[in-house]
Amino acid sequence: MREAQPLTIRQLAPETVNRIAAGEVIERPASAVKELVENALDAGAREIEIVTVSGGLSLIRVTDDGCGMEARDLALCVERHATSKLRDDDLFDIRTLGFRGEALPSIGSIATLSVASRPRAGAAPLEVVVDRGEKHPLKPAALNFGTRIEVRDLFSATPARLKFLKSERAENMAVSDVVKRLAMAHPGVGFTLTTGERTGLRLPAAPDGPEGLLARLGRIMGADFLADALPIAGEREGVALSGFAGLPTLHRPDASQQYLFVNGRPVRDKLLVGSVRAAYGDLLPKGRYPLLALFVTLPPAAVDVNVHPAKAEVRFRDAAAVRSLIIGGLSQALAAAGHRATLRGGAMTIDAFVAAATPQREASPSPNLSSAPRSSPPQAAYSSRASGFGEAMQAPFAAFDSLSAETVRAEDLPTADSIARPLGAARAQLHETYIVAQTETSVIIVDQHAAHERLVYERMKAMLANGGVARQGLLIPVVVTLEPDEAACLIERACEWAALGLILESFGSTAVCVREVPALLGHGDVEGLVRDLASGVANDGDTRALQDRLEAVCSTFACHGSVRAGRRLTGVEMNALLRDMEATPHSGQCNHGRPTYVELKLTDIERLFGRS
Amino acid sequence: MRLVIERGELLRALSHVTSVVERRTTIPILSNVMLSASGRSLRFKATDLEREVIEVVAADVTQPGALTVPAHMLHDIVRKLPDGAQIELVKDAEKERLTLKAGPSRFALQTLAADDFPDLAVGEMAQEFEVSASDLKRLIDKTRFAISTEETRYYLNGIYLHTAERNGQPTLRAVATDGHRLAQVELPRPEGATGMAGIIIPRKTVHELHRLIEDGAGVVKMGVSPTKVRFEIGTVTLTSKLIDGSFPDYGRVIPQANDKEMKVSNAEFIGAVDRVSTIASERGRAVKLSITADKLVLSVNNPEGGSATEEISVGYVAAPLEIGFNARYLLDIAGQLEGEEARFMLADPGSPTMVRDSSDDSALYVLMPMRV
Repeated sequence: MREAQPLTIRQLAPETVNRIAAGEVIERPASAVKELVENALDAGAREIEIVTVSGGLSLIRVTDDGCGMEARDLALCVERHATSKLRDDDLFDIRTLGFRGEALPSIGSIATLSVASRPRAGAAPLEVVVDRGEKHPLKPAALNFGTRIEVRDLFSATPARLKFLKSERAENMAVSDVVKRLAMAHPGVGFTLTTGERTGLRLPAAPDGPEGLLARLGRIMGADFLADALPIAGEREGVALSGFAGLPTLHRPDASQQYLFVNGRPVRDKLLVGSVRAAYGDLLPKGRYPLLALFVTLPPAAVDVNVHPAKAEVRFRDAAAVRSLIIGGLSQALAAAGHRATLRGGAMTIDAFVAAATPQREASPSPNLSSAPRSSPPQAAYSSRASGFGEAMQAPFAAFDSLSAETVRAEDLPTADSIARPLGAARAQLHETYIVAQTETSVIIVDQHAAHERLVYERMKAMLANGGVARQGLLIPVVVTLEPDEAACLIERACEWAALGLILESFGSTAVCVREVPALLGHGDVEGLVRDLASGVANDGDTRALQDRLEAVCSTFACHGSVRAGRRLTGVEMNALLRDMEATPHSGQCNHGRPTYVELKLTDIERLFGRS
Repeated sequence: MRLVIERGELLRALSHVTSVVERRTTIPILSNVMLSASGRSLRFKATDLEREVIEVVAADVTQPGALTVPAHMLHDIVRKLPDGAQIELVKDAEKERLTLKAGPSRFALQTLAADDFPDLAVGEMAQEFEVSASDLKRLIDKTRFAISTEETRYYLNGIYLHTAERNGQPTLRAVATDGHRLAQVELPRPEGATGMAGIIIPRKTVHELHRLIEDGAGVVKMGVSPTKVRFEIGTVTLTSKLIDGSFPDYGRVIPQANDKEMKVSNAEFIGAVDRVSTIASERGRAVKLSITADKLVLSVNNPEGGSATEEISVGYVAAPLEIGFNARYLLDIAGQLEGEEARFMLADPGSPTMVRDSSDDSALYVLMPMRV
């Protein structure tokens, strides 16, 4: 090693400062796109066009029809910490997406940046170019009203960053994700995203209001979401919640379709994950996530957005209030949805029917075809059918067979009144497991066990909530040693646990002492319960661990206490079950998150027969 | 190996040893019973690695030898043979099979080598004493219902047997608790037990032992070492590992100052609790005891099922009290009392309650209330 020269402290050159800042703000091409589109939105654009070439590395172009910039502003906008957005330098009253004045100089320091703008006032369009930190004088440009920003050769000044970028495809995905998130927050603005040669996304400006928002969300999150979205609304202490959440029967294996917007700014926050889990709770199978887009609006002073250079995170002054608002809003909407289940089940059934028809029509002689997995569901359908007809080994009394109560007796026949109900009138029970009901526009197939299990379970839960949880005192208290902060978090919310039947006391700074446990849990593992609870609370404010266990016990009881598959039901019983389902919240899915019924629309059935 | 044995003898020995054999094991030889013939006797040995049972019975041995065969299968075969049958057991030298002949029946069982059979390595017992089978049975009977089944507090998964004193008399005391209730029973300390360190006898051993002394006749020779306990009951020897842990200081949870005493006819009390708890459908539903002067009202309220109340006259003079208990716990404890009258020593709805038998003060029970 060489002897180190004595170094003196000096001020860094502005380009270097900008490049350092760029390292934080501009992580990848998608970050640049985010900054530029946010600028366009802040400028009041109604139409924004985004073009990227080779993942945004060779070109990013964002064109808007916003207010544009005068010559003086244009010259200044590429300077560091120059912004029009922070009024009176008040960081506590931020009403725009950007405010730090870092984006353009940062981009300009690591790429070739060209900003062309023409304000509405009618001035001539001008353009300023910054080439890797070197600013050129203004020159005339050709442009309609608004602003056009081009970024070429991103990261050419910081080759190290280039090495850390992912594939072009991955960068394109990231860009598209950024644009989608911003587009969801601004349904009134039209977006066009062109990646490379093809147009990736074309979102026309939607009308204001919930319909417009839902239309925009549907275009981004898919038609399934559009069909299954529940409007969410709520307000508490100046914090407003709006948006849409999918039915519990619509779910994905990851949380990637859960969007949170705070004052129109897309953010990622652990708060959302925990709240969503608390609200959906026992409605979803393990490891599945619902789809939703929530918008939280609150006074700018109640939230700190200046936490993260790219503003991906925010801090709420009162996170617990926002959390309970989200949980409350979601729970309310889900309970109001009652028995509604996703329509996808019906669509899938229809698809299965169509698939079944195809091999038959082909009448392929190849026996191999039948072993192909694709045709196995129809196979199963046929074989069970066949056994129904072909039980010749033990001949039944044919006369009795026709009496067997698989069809509803005349006296049970529904009145027109029940056909008009959402789940219609029970017409038959098939395989002693499925109830077939008729509504005015569809055929409903109900899984009797799943449906009844949910009804019993909801009743038990309601009893638990109304009657309070009986507590068994512990003769020998259980002392659980925890991390100090976990113990503190747990003790802080002791009241909540008490309501659920768990009495905790602090026991030194690193332990809690359990005095009473919910009697329902019997001789469960108290220590394990407390540990789960503590880590849930300390990590993401998730308080479900205790409730989960109580509900698991209820759900076991419910499973044993409900009508099994294989029980023959009379028409009256079937109709009673359907009416019960209509009246009970969450009855659209069983305790394991599967749908309890599917609805086959008449139009779909007609399509099967080519009658549409 | 070749021998003849009477069916009754064989069945009795097998029923003693096979219950310790787990039906599903990951080590094949553990589902076997070891038979070793020598002199004029046949020795049976079965184990689950935590405990082993050995029994020696007389047999007409013509050729000594040892082997292991599937325990439950052998037991089932012998059970189904006619009463009084003479059973011949022969092991083929070449064929590694045990042939069992009884009258016209003939079975050939797969064997595994006796050398591979695990041995619990019972060492010297530090302390040896005798206790009557009926006394030992009483200790177990009255405490085992309170043994915990929850595995995290493993040291509660057995009966804590140790020496103590009551009213200045040396005793042998058994205690079991599951954290919700506690049972404590004593007997006069047998000679030779003084100085015995407290031991925790695992639940399964307790149940095995209980089966072996079901009839309560005779004397049990006990041997205790720091890690094992041995019971010799006639021709049977049960040896078990102990739970390696320290039993909590249970004395602190036994209330000393409960001054509200309620005396109630035990039979009436059991009947009433049983009747009112019919309404409580689910686990953990509480029975409420409202006690006023000389009157006890038991009530259960189940919003879904309805409600039930029953009134019994009791002996009670203290201030009125309302307290809830788990119905099953009440029945468990009341079921242990032999006297006509049960004595409840109460304090308040949040503190442990003590229950005693009015005719027998060697046993006491502590129960934590429920809150509704």
